[in-house]
Amino acid sequence: MVAAAFHPLGIFLFGLGGGFALPLLYRLGKGWLAGGFFLALGGIALASGAGLLRLLAGEPAIEVLTAGAMPPVSINLRLGLWEAFFAVSVNVTALLGAWRLWDRLRGSYGALLLYLILVMGIDGMIMTRDLFNLFVFLEIVSIATYGLLGLSQAPAALAAAFKYIMATVVASSLFLVGSVLLYHVAGTLNIDELIAGAGALSRPMGVAALLMLLAGLLVELKPFPANGWGLDVYETAPGGIAAMVSVGVSAGVFFALFKLAPLFGAQLGIIAFSGAATFLFSNLIGLSQTRTQRLLGYSSIGQMGLLTLALGALAQIDAADAAPLVIGGLFVNHLLAKAGLFWLAETLGMEKTDSRAGLRNHPLALALLGLLIVAIAGLPPFPGFWAKWELVMRLTAAGAHHWTMVILLGSLLEAAYMFRWFGLTLRRNTSARAGHVSNPPAINASQLAPPLAAGLLLLAAGGMAASMAGVATWLFVPLVAGAALLAIDGVLPGRVKAVAMLLVILAAGSWLAWPITGIAALFASLLLAGGLVIAAASLYRADARPGFYPLMTTLLLAIMTLLRARDSLSFFFSWELVTLASYFLIARSSRASRYLLSFLLFSLAAAYFLMAGFAAVAANAGSAELAALRLPGGGMEVAFILLVAGFLIKAGVLGAHVWLPGSYAEAEDDTSAMLSGVVSKVAIYGLLLVTYLAIRTELKLEAAHVMAWIGLLTIVGGALMALRQQDFKRLLAFSSMSQLGYIIIAIALMSRLGWVTALYLVANHLMVKGILFLGVAGIIARTGARRFASTGGLARMMPLTFLMMCIAVVSMSGLPPLMGFGGKWLLLVAMMEQGWSLLAVASLFGAFLGFLYMIRLLQGLFAGPRAEGQEQAREASVFLLAPQALLAAGIIVLSLFPKLLFEPVSAAIDPQFAAGLVWEGMSLEKIYAAWNPTPALLAALGASALLFAVFWIIWRRKARTGGLARFYAYYRMVIGRSLPPVAILFWDGVAAVATAAAKLARRPYTGNGQTYVAYVIYYFLAVYIAGAGLGGLTP
Amino acid sequence: MMKRAFAALAVVLVGLVFLHIVGDYAELQALRPLAHYYVTQVPAQLGAPNVVTGILISWRGFDTLGEVAVLFMVAASIGLLLQQGDGRETASPPRRPASELVATGAMVLLPLIFTFGAYVIVNGHLSAGGGFQGGAIVASGVMLMLVANPAARLNTALLGAVESAAGVLYVCLGVLGLALAGGFLDPRFLPKGQFGAFISAGAIPLISALLGVKVGAELSVIIDRFRS
Amino acid sequence: MSIGVPVSTILMITGFGLALTGLWGMLTHRNIMRIIICFVLMGTGFNIVMVAGGYVTGATAPIIDRALGAAEAGARAIDPVPSALVVTAIVIGFSVTAVMLAFAIRLYAAKKTLSIDAFTESKW
Repeated sequence: MVAAAFHPLGIFLFGLGGGFALPLLYRLGKGWLAGGFFLALGGIALASGAGLLRLLAGEPAIEVLTAGAMPPVSINLRLGLWEAFFAVSVNVTALLGAWRLWDRLRGSYGALLLYLILVMGIDGMIMTRDLFNLFVFLEIVSIATYGLLGLSQAPAALAAAFKYIMATVVASSLFLVGSVLLYHVAGTLNIDELIAGAGALSRPMGVAALLMLLAGLLVELKPFPANGWGLDVYETAPGGIAAMVSVGVSAGVFFALFKLAPLFGAQLGIIAFSGAATFLFSNLIGLSQTRTQRLLGYSSIGQMGLLTLALGALAQIDAADAAPLVIGGLFVNHLLAKAGLFWLAETLGMEKTDSRAGLRNHPLALALLGLLIVAIAGLPPFPGFWAKWELVMRLTAAGAHHWTMVILLGSLLEAAYMFRWFGLTLRRNTSARAGHVSNPPAINASQLAPPLAAGLLLLAAGGMAASMAGVATWLFVPLVAGAALLAIDGVLPGRVKAVAMLLVILAAGSWLAWPITGIAALFASLLLAGGLVIAAASLYRADARPGFYPLMTTLLLAIMTLLRARDSLSFFFSWELVTLASYFLIARSSRASRYLLSFLLFSLAAAYFLMAGFAAVAANAGSAELAALRLPGGGMEVAFILLVAGFLIKAGVLGAHVWLPGSYAEAEDDTSAMLSGVVSKVAIYGLLLVTYLAIRTELKLEAAHVMAWIGLLTIVGGALMALRQQDFKRLLAFSSMSQLGYIIIAIALMSRLGWVTALYLVANHLMVKGILFLGVAGIIARTGARRFASTGGLARMMPLTFLMMCIAVVSMSGLPPLMGFGGKWLLLVAMMEQGWSLLAVASLFGAFLGFLYMIRLLQGLFAGPRAEGQEQAREASVFLLAPQALLAAGIIVLSLFPKLLFEPVSAAIDPQFAAGLVWEGMSLEKIYAAWNPTPALLAALGASALLFAVFWIIWRRKARTGGLARFYAYYRMVIGRSLPPVAILFWDGVAAVATAAAKLARRPYTGNGQTYVAYVIYYFLAVYIAGAGLGGLTP
Repeated sequence: MMKRAFAALAVVLVGLVFLHIVGDYAELQALRPLAHYYVTQVPAQLGAPNVVTGILISWRGFDTLGEVAVLFMVAASIGLLLQQGDGRETASPPRRPASELVATGAMVLLPLIFTFGAYVIVNGHLSAGGGFQGGAIVASGVMLMLVANPAARLNTALLGAVESAAGVLYVCLGVLGLALAGGFLDPRFLPKGQFGAFISAGAIPLISALLGVKVGAELSVIIDRFRS
Repeated sequence: MSIGVPVSTILMITGFGLALTGLWGMLTHRNIMRIIICFVLMGTGFNIVMVAGGYVTGATAPIIDRALGAAEAGARAIDPVPSALVVTAIVIGFSVTAVMLAFAIRLYAAKKTLSIDAFTESKW
């Protein structure tokens, strides 16, 4: 009997027997009712779980025969791996959902039995192998849903439920008629027999019947635009019920489509198109949504669209072997994350997306929300990430670029509104502004358990998906280390955690970096050392900083895994981890809330360019190894442009820079140092990795030339904007952007000398920006000032900071004798060698501007009169000064002994140019031996002095008087007038266009149930005509 | 009027689809193998002369079980939906008593209806009819009773218990089939009996009767809930 | 009685016609009760279509009795499957109708109207 209970048939015995018995148990007492309900629901879950275990142990699919006869005579059900996976996922979610809904359910046996039979019905839809039985289970699920929707009291909810009923009844009628007509054609209802004899279904009636079936199923999946009824229910139903409809019911319907897909061989295009349109438009419309549950509804419908698209497109390109990872991954990702979000939103009382500002006070709730949103956005380490990657790889390999574009664009839109929601919860609670918000309910900790469980299951599923994707385990070191620090985050004091963080990064980072070779090894040692030094500065704060240390650990270790990656998937995984860790680190600062979204969106856009680019490389080279980037061959134009675009966006080049200043300037002060000094180098590493592809395009050096000009514009643009700033941290942010321009030019030179220079500049920039941001951190900590106007004359009080920053400024401005000079000089030589004299001259102008704003920085902070109230400001904390001193020592050592850097750089770069396509053999020793700084020094100084004189004269001729401060004020105004914020206007325009498109795309939603029925009918007609042609309308 | 035009266009287009289907329809000239198997083997293997009932209760019994579940859920759903409105509890004016014609007619007809319903239920395996059909007839009698005597109160608690118990028993009979015969819902754990006899065809009449009781009770509960 | 068109074809056309009538009604009537009735009409139409599809020329109901001996059943009975399916479909159709009516009662209680145009609270 026990064995029988854990046979898959047990699902139905528990479901129906339990359901029928509940009213009887109700008469026995509340305890009986609750016990019976959970026994039955648990029994369903166990029966499916036991089946899954048997299947995983290698047993063949479990056939459930009924009435002692073989199919097709009797109805049979099947629990294969697919079925078991879907059923177990749904059942476990249903158990968690019952916990969440318990307050609503326990009052009434009616609701309990509806819920129980609903779950059983979904399992039935998954398992049955009889077409008509599938219809019966569809109706069981529908009726249970209708009943549960009736639990709600609000008129809007009832109206929405009625619309839902009207639309789904039409859809299921189509399914019913389709099945019975199919029986008329085929003489059987058994799905396996139907599939085996699918060829015989091609007569007009068969085609019509199939299209009816298909339209019925597609409509049940709520395709755009025939889905207003579904959205209304998502918006108005109680969160727990909406979650069940969103993940449970949709899972059943989707599986029905999945199971019947072999019948729809001729309609795969329709399936993929329906999914694609739904994914794209749902996510577009989501942009203009402010009510949380409806927002989740758009996301939910979008995710089902993505699944549908994956189903159709994978079958179209004959990539069924990818289905387990892609469809399984996307499904379980949506199931757990979406259910978790519905539960969480309801628990937190987030009726609108801005109802819960100030969620910072609830770290657990906030962390959960973040985790689930990251999962929904398809970011690592969750299953959606691995699935989406595999899907894009397969589609691109098969040349289905249109689907790739839809997937990436839709994903970006979805991330936009989901992360905007997250950002809103981070804002300070300004309840005066949000007049409509009554005080949100206090959070009941036990109600966080279901979303928490969903989050943990998602992590586990992510691990499984990763092992299916076949990546190395060391890839997870950053996450594991972060989790370990998270475990002690709440108990230890801040400085102890900082030491723990440093030790973990040192140990795990060196272990990760050990096997790295080549250029990556250089980056690894540079970034690990620099990262540790800058991270050590976090000791200057003694407070607990919840989340900071785990995130910083993950960030730095993810950079190490990125450098260690040898295949594009590992690289991309680490890349996304770096993005996410940076995002959450920036999010720790409440001042940064406004800039978070643009940081994330530009990062994700960059990431999607990379994903498409890597897919294009893999499709061309037939290998996902990064080494394939350096193989000879042609036809890499698209891949090159995509990859370079991705890395340039992430580097923050002019035009795509709008995300950079805000997030760099408003992050916590030591985080800014890390972002600018260390994290920005990741994009540079990526550029070095892929620029070589230029050789494999028709564009060749022209492409590199364009890149160099982009770099130059970034130098000049960044410098001009830096000059305009009155906020000195912001000035540093723009300076960081500007300086990366030099490195981009150096890479674009595509010569050995250029690349040596690039690495030299990378090292210089890391140390310089580390010092400057940490120095500024000390000044902000001591004075509380952020603007030039509110500080000054600090040289006497903070002499050490002054000294360090002077060293940094001298090195950065390219003044002799420090290493910045060597870098600039090398760059000039390399550019002249390449014959890019115009670029060389223009970059000298950029250098001059850099010199100007750096003088401005030193003058504004350390010279002039002291600001009021700052007379007592002390020297910065030793914890800030020591890292600065280390970095300054680094600058001096490398200036005196440049070979320390050049030799390993040379050794690392030589193999890259072994092919000798661009480089014509001048050895580095020779260049370095030929380094005669005197003329260059004189030329550079002369040019700078000349330019300065010119500007000074212009200013004087406008009859201005006064000191240096007035000089800067004048040019600030000139720049402000002559340099409108084109990029900001442009991106604001893009956002406005997207929002307007969203508003336009939701116009079909009239709210009228009758109209929605008409849409459903027209949707059927569209599917029908797409499948049968206009000839299908003739008798 | 745009709306009507769109509705008309939709109806016309769907009509064309239907015409297309009818155009391809050809009346069957003989049974296909599966149908032939049913027509010959339901009497032979299950011992039920009524092939449709035989199929419904045995080989497609899983459908029937689902259908019962649907009906069961409807009773529960309607309970959920309509009880909530009952917060104000019978503030409605007392109903007008039924006319004499109805009252008298009901007295005459009710015994007939109930008897006929019972007959249809228990003879489902032999002739046209079955649990659903008979249950519906019984419920129509209940309806008439309530129309004739608006003040009457149905013992819905009892009906609900009967409905549940019948459901549980149905599942138990299914399990008996699994334990004693070929599989879940196999009615052949009872002897086939003599073909065409009242007690024959294994457990089919038993299940049919349970179905009848269950459907009758369910429909009566539903009718009663709509009344209040 | 040869009218040229097989009887089940006529039945099928009737069923489809009924379904179309229901469809037209549910798209044009404003009153929710009428819309529900139209849903029932459509369902009934489809049920007729389904039953019609099981007809075999010249055959009779698949009940073994004096009119249809066990031996000749294979040749003279109609396909029993659609009939069995339709029983289930009718019950399900009934169920859906009952739920819709219950919702209609609740909707009327909420707004004191049954016009479908009055229930457009949630829209976008």
